[in-house]
Amino acid sequence: MKVGIDFGTSNSGVAIYDGQRVTVLPIDRQNVLPEVVKTVLYVTRDYECFIGQEAIAQYYRDNVNRQRRFVKKWAGEIDVIGADMHFVRDVYVMVDEMKPGRLMQYLKTALRKEGFHGTQVFERFYTPGDLAQAYLGLLKQRAEQILGEKIDAVTLGRPVKFAATPEGDRRAEETLRAAAHAAGFEQVDFELEPIAAALDYEQTLEKPQNVIIFDFGGGTLDIAVMRLGGPSSGSGRKVYASGGVDIAGSDFDRAIIEKRMLQHFGLGRINHQPEILEMIQAVPDWMALPELATPLNRNTLEKAIRAGLAPARLKALQGLIYNDLAFTFYNRVEAAKIALSSQGATTISLDDSGIALWELYTRHQFESDIFDYLGKVEKVLLDTLAASGLEPGNIDAIVKTGGSSNIPLFAGMLARIFGAGKVKQSNAFSSVVAGLAIRAKAG
Amino acid sequence: MSFSEKIDEWIKEAEARPASALLVLKLVANRLRELAEQNETLLNENIALRDGTRVEEYQKRITHLEYQLEILKRRVGSGAELPIQAEIPASLLIYNAHGRIARFVIDPAAPVFGKLDGEIVQDGEFPRLLAIPGDEEVLLLFTSGRIATCPVSGIQAMPPGAAWAWDKADLPEEPHAGEMLACIMPLSRLSLADSFMQASRRGCVKKTLTTVAQSILDNRYLGRGAIQKSDQPFDVLLAQKKERYALVTYEGRLMGIDVGDLSYAAEERIRISATDYIIGAFTIQPGQNILCVTQNGKVIQREAGFLEVAKTGASRGQALIPQARLDAGVRFVGAVAARDVDQLVALDATGNLSVHLTGDVAGAGSIRPGAVILSIGLIPTP
Repeated sequence: MKVGIDFGTSNSGVAIYDGQRVTVLPIDRQNVLPEVVKTVLYVTRDYECFIGQEAIAQYYRDNVNRQRRFVKKWAGEIDVIGADMHFVRDVYVMVDEMKPGRLMQYLKTALRKEGFHGTQVFERFYTPGDLAQAYLGLLKQRAEQILGEKIDAVTLGRPVKFAATPEGDRRAEETLRAAAHAAGFEQVDFELEPIAAALDYEQTLEKPQNVIIFDFGGGTLDIAVMRLGGPSSGSGRKVYASGGVDIAGSDFDRAIIEKRMLQHFGLGRINHQPEILEMIQAVPDWMALPELATPLNRNTLEKAIRAGLAPARLKALQGLIYNDLAFTFYNRVEAAKIALSSQGATTISLDDSGIALWELYTRHQFESDIFDYLGKVEKVLLDTLAASGLEPGNIDAIVKTGGSSNIPLFAGMLARIFGAGKVKQSNAFSSVVAGLAIRAKAG
Repeated sequence: MSFSEKIDEWIKEAEARPASALLVLKLVANRLRELAEQNETLLNENIALRDGTRVEEYQKRITHLEYQLEILKRRVGSGAELPIQAEIPASLLIYNAHGRIARFVIDPAAPVFGKLDGEIVQDGEFPRLLAIPGDEEVLLLFTSGRIATCPVSGIQAMPPGAAWAWDKADLPEEPHAGEMLACIMPLSRLSLADSFMQASRRGCVKKTLTTVAQSILDNRYLGRGAIQKSDQPFDVLLAQKKERYALVTYEGRLMGIDVGDLSYAAEERIRISATDYIIGAFTIQPGQNILCVTQNGKVIQREAGFLEVAKTGASRGQALIPQARLDAGVRFVGAVAARDVDQLVALDATGNLSVHLTGDVAGAGSIRPGAVILSIGLIPTP
């Protein structure tokens, strides 16, 4: 069996196409959207790997309240060469020898990063290919469990520009290909992600069109200005220009937390306790939060609560850090953001031991919180369009995909620049993977 | 941002999109209803605190907890092995790699166990024996690193004296595809122990703090504790920080390690030959000796002081079997830390289980002349 896999920077997915209908597999049942699996990999000290929400949950479980013991370890040596001297100095690092595992994200970025040869995970060295292999292997395993049959071939998505140089681009694709083979796929081929996103749309075309693919997902915004052919596919296809920026859904989640949620954890009430302020400021960073769960920080919070410094809010902060609630909290924020794409108001609430958090959040508030990003996104879009040599009037359609493209603020921007009639909605969360599945079926 | 500023923003939303007004109203009304309910609960709680009802309740609870603590203190005594209570007789568990566990209730006056019929050794793995208090809970470690727990009383007891086969034994947790039952560990001292100590067949040792026990039990995963893929977990037990941990191998090597010196990563602590593997892993308590049994029932006993503690890296350990005997094919099948008053249970190749006083067999230098011993276990005397 052959499947399409979208190995994204922040989210991935697997889909199959039976000739009639595309089915995006519910790979991550713990996620808000089971069809979307976060591109994160958690490797434990026993070298057991986890992906998606399972990886994040495991990371929290292993790190919250855990003990730490730092030991000095020899890391290497540095040659110090001066005008008339040369000596070698040993370099030592402090290593937490009780660290239970390592969480890694941006696995796709690692493939294209110049000068990045890999990373040490406890006693083993993982190359970018090894990391991609571990992730793809688990993705394949889960897909096989759902389908009940062996998957031996895959069509993988790849960006128009994988790396800055053609050599880097070729190397990144080859690394990903080798990783997919090592993960158990016998046959591996590639399709450009924007083309995959536009595949449904391209099949409806009767004559060639100039199209902008506006792929605005969880991790990045990718824009491609293309000429798409008719249903015969491929013949008239051309990429005029592509661009992107590291702005996407995760930044909006962060903005919501920074502007609306931190006050529930004491921001504005705590002014002269830098240790506590540091903890509050770390709340938007989901990867940093378990690192805060140290016995020292617990004592600091307990003392402040006993001293009557915003006790209810600091108790909530303590609950968030130590009661394994961070995962739920970030999911609630993300769910509120998604809800505001279709309704004017929603609530962000978390009711657990020590925490009674409730925030009514409106689209007006959301749009004012992320307004700064609008200008940046518009600039990237217009720059990419300018690089293609086309004018807005030359564009026949904008195909938007990715969850963030549904945010009315950005959908409105597209309609303002190109006209509402030209903005076409593709399946926000699965158009790339669906296109890859269709391409996989076509062979 | 003040609450009135938030309200202003809600009004702005309603002005910008009148359809949102109804939704905002509904959400606020729902919240008000929740708060009203919470307010009533808090008022009730306030009354209970003021009139002393709640204080009395807490006092009763504290008294009850103090009583439970006292009981626990009496049970664990000085931190040595849990005494086997008279009212709940101890049990002997005989288990194989397929996860089958036979339980025999131990009669302290005259322990009698059934004869194991049929195929005794399955997949080349000898059965293992564990004597345990009847009210214990056990942790089952599988070769994949997965764990399961079950109460001893939940394992079906076999009739004493009758012949039995593995298919009659209980299967409290079936091994998953590709895994085997590595060992069984008593769990009730978990809260009193500092760490789990895991030993693998090839001599890797891993220490895991019991402070993360809740996470381990929730995830049902302890880890394999092995570095090499071909290696397998052999044993897990609970240990205190200052205890001494010993490993004994099939080819008669003995290695001592201080639990406190071990790192939290799995590392090779005894260098063994390609044909050798671990057959015994235990901590040594005051008054105990090291007792090793060969396949033909010979007993080698060493005092605890004989054990040399290796401070760093993997070494070959102390030799317990002379080279000439080793060349003649003598190998260990089991090793335990025992006192002279404890009882040793031995399973022989005919499926018979025999019980011997440790002091007697150590003195005689042999368990039963002529018998081929497969496995041994220890029944501690309270």
